[in-house]
Amino acid sequence: MANFAIDEEFLQQLETLQTLIKNNVAGLFGGNHQTKSYGSSCEFSDYRDYMAGDDITKIDWNAYARFDKLYLKLYADERQMHTRIYIDASRSMAYGKGAKHVQALRIAAALAYLSINAMDKVSIYAIRDKKCEEIVTNLLGKDAFVSSIAKLNDVAFEGDSYISESILPTTVGYGDGMSVIISDFLTDNNFEDAIDYLTSKKRDILCMQILSKEELHPQVRGKMHLFDSEQASKSYRKNITKDIVKAYKLALEYVTQRISGYCASRGAEYMLIPSEQSVYKIFFERLTSMGVLK
Amino acid sequence: MNLLYPLGLLGLIGIPILILIYILKNKYTEQVISSTYIWTLSERFLKQRTPINKLVGIISLILQILVVLFISVAVAHPVFTVPNAANEYCFVLDGSGSMNLSEGLQTRLERGKGEIASIINGSLNGCSYTLIYVGTTTETVYYRTENKEQALKLLNDIEPAYLNGEFKDALSVAQEFFNEAPWVKTYLITDKVVRSFENVEVKNVGSHVDNYGISDVEYSLTGAQIKVTGNLMSYENAATLTVGLYIDGDTRAAATTRAVVPVYQKTPFEIIADYTEFSNIRVAITNRDALALDNEVIIYSPEAEAEYKALIVSDAPYFLQSALSTKANTKTTVVSLKDYKSSVSGYDLYIFDGVTGAVMPRDGAVWFIDPKDSVAGSGFTFQGNVSFAEGQKLTYSASSASAVDLLRRNLLKNDIYVKEYTKCGLYRKFSTLLTHEGNPILFAGTNSYGSRELVVAFDLHKSNLPVTADYTTLIGNMFSYTFPNAFEKTSYVCGETVRLNVPAKCNSIRVDSPNQKVSYLGTGGDACELYLSEAGLYTVTMLAGGSERKFYIFSELPENERIPVVAEEAFSVRGEPSSAGKSGTYEDLLAWFILLAVLAAADWGVYCYEQYQLR
Repeated sequence: MANFAIDEEFLQQLETLQTLIKNNVAGLFGGNHQTKSYGSSCEFSDYRDYMAGDDITKIDWNAYARFDKLYLKLYADERQMHTRIYIDASRSMAYGKGAKHVQALRIAAALAYLSINAMDKVSIYAIRDKKCEEIVTNLLGKDAFVSSIAKLNDVAFEGDSYISESILPTTVGYGDGMSVIISDFLTDNNFEDAIDYLTSKKRDILCMQILSKEELHPQVRGKMHLFDSEQASKSYRKNITKDIVKAYKLALEYVTQRISGYCASRGAEYMLIPSEQSVYKIFFERLTSMGVLK
Repeated sequence: MNLLYPLGLLGLIGIPILILIYILKNKYTEQVISSTYIWTLSERFLKQRTPINKLVGIISLILQILVVLFISVAVAHPVFTVPNAANEYCFVLDGSGSMNLSEGLQTRLERGKGEIASIINGSLNGCSYTLIYVGTTTETVYYRTENKEQALKLLNDIEPAYLNGEFKDALSVAQEFFNEAPWVKTYLITDKVVRSFENVEVKNVGSHVDNYGISDVEYSLTGAQIKVTGNLMSYENAATLTVGLYIDGDTRAAATTRAVVPVYQKTPFEIIADYTEFSNIRVAITNRDALALDNEVIIYSPEAEAEYKALIVSDAPYFLQSALSTKANTKTTVVSLKDYKSSVSGYDLYIFDGVTGAVMPRDGAVWFIDPKDSVAGSGFTFQGNVSFAEGQKLTYSASSASAVDLLRRNLLKNDIYVKEYTKCGLYRKFSTLLTHEGNPILFAGTNSYGSRELVVAFDLHKSNLPVTADYTTLIGNMFSYTFPNAFEKTSYVCGETVRLNVPAKCNSIRVDSPNQKVSYLGTGGDACELYLSEAGLYTVTMLAGGSERKFYIFSELPENERIPVVAEEAFSVRGEPSSAGKSGTYEDLLAWFILLAVLAAADWGVYCYEQYQLR
């Protein structure tokens, strides 16, 4: 846990937050998320006329005495959700001064705690090449969280990542919570199919793009031969001038807008996170203002 | 275009080497980054590049190639021939005394030299230059030389004159030159206002500046005071001038006086100070003006440094002793005849009065008074005594010899009578002042050791001479003949000739002029002449008999050279000028080096642009 720089105080503050799940159509009973349907929780919701065959134990006899008509008491339904977090474990996440992987793990841990606190299940996956490797699955309860979350430290960031090819073959559930994809999205590999797939499964989707300061505001100048950390065959050789930096910034804007636009079109949330930004700010300011947390 | 050093083009080999290095050397910095995805994508957002933009990548190489190219060409020293572009220049430079006036930080002469230098520097190679310098005399410094460096060096070496230059000769040379080459460009550089000129470009380097002058300075000693008189002049504006009297090099004035001096009007002044003895006095105007040379006069005492020791060998030395006592700079020793030893030495003057058996001293001048026998090396022989019952009148010589002139100076020519004298036979050249019936009685010359010798062939006690008014004067003249002053006075006007008396046994006379020019005067005769061509202080060093004596002569600037602006009537070269010329060459490497510097700076700029993105 120390590796993620998330302390006890932060976790206590995190307990005051709750995820807002829009597509809560499914899930197990016994959770903490209210659904649009009526259920068997203790929280009163509404009345309706009694119909033959209804459970007579739910008739409000006080109302019958007052109105001389049978009314049935309805209670809110609460479900347990399953939060699935996908971390891009490619080499590009860990290379350089940015430490994007630390930020990714930190956010994953905080989100997991938030879900555990809402009595939801949590699964965390590492996307590496075309595989989606489980780090922790069906984590439930704070004890389990504390004992298992340290596994995040063991995640190795290497190789390439194919988000769609990794997520599509996996079980993602149906309408039972949020899927979070944490990546730098610095690839032309397909990620759209994964979003479509999760959308079709009625999952709430949150795409978090983490970029380092050097990626957001490159400082390299002059004659440079830049090599890709993931594939040595990919390189960029140029006299980097102000014009090229300007073009770089346009390209970066294009990439972020493409991802955010695609997410918006699918009802998914998108967030660009600088690797140096504090987790506190991400959770207590940005995610709450976006309406992902309340 | 010709190349002076074609081998310099070998430097062009550097160009292919440079290209090779450029190709071989990978100047790209390698760096691994997390992803090149955005960088690669940025290509789509780059603006369309023009062909010129594409050159930007190799602009550094292009510049470096140009640098190598220009270095090679510069080393090869190209010479461009420009047809009909070379000129012939004839400069007439006024070097008169007034050109010493200051115009700002420079003198007029320096300004004039600067004008000529700038014309020479700005001219093409192949031009020729003639310089006529009008100084004390007119001198053609160089004639049609094409060597710029030499022309500039000789120009630089020109020193100011102090006398009024005559343009007549210069004009004659310039006219002759023009007749020969009518395309010649003639320049007159002067501080004079030339009213009319033709085929001449006049460059006037003078202006109306304040100048004051001092002249006609004299002094007199009365009692314990020195009185100095002279005249002051202000040449441009009326002024109140302060004059100071400085004695023996003191920087503080012993006395000062102020005088209101109208424009161009000699105004007398007088300064009196308490002083009796001095080695030099300086009278100077303390006001600042354009010419310092005419603001002071220095007068040296001719006898200031002289001090003599005299030995009188006599049994009755009273008359001689009393006469020599008037000479403050003479220390006299008297010995009697019986105490006299022939081996005695160390005196400047030996006086033998009625001595028998005297031996000619080697180290000093000699006076024989009433000689009683012949002395070896004296130039005369004793031929017996001639006595008379009555006193006989001596006859003064009418000779115009310089020695006789000197001995006769200021004498009243009182009648001198003697009852007895020594008959002398002369076998060396002597100058005789007094005779009796053809016999030399008082004569002067030199002895066999080269020292001055004076013979008075009678006993002073047996004549009326000691009681005449002329006695002291004659002894004084004899003394002056024995120890001649180098010159009569120490203050002259530039252009004057000074007559210097050559002392006995004189080995050399060295003259250091105010401009530190050294010259030597002849020591063959009794006197020599020194022409004062410069204004300022001359130092005359005489080496005589193993001892060195220094004298100072002050040479004043002539009054007509002190006037700031003088009009010169005309300076015209007659004839029809021609526009023809000759081919000139341009080989100034400065342009190449400027070009090189610009290219190198541009290359550096490109480097900075590439490395640090300065734009």
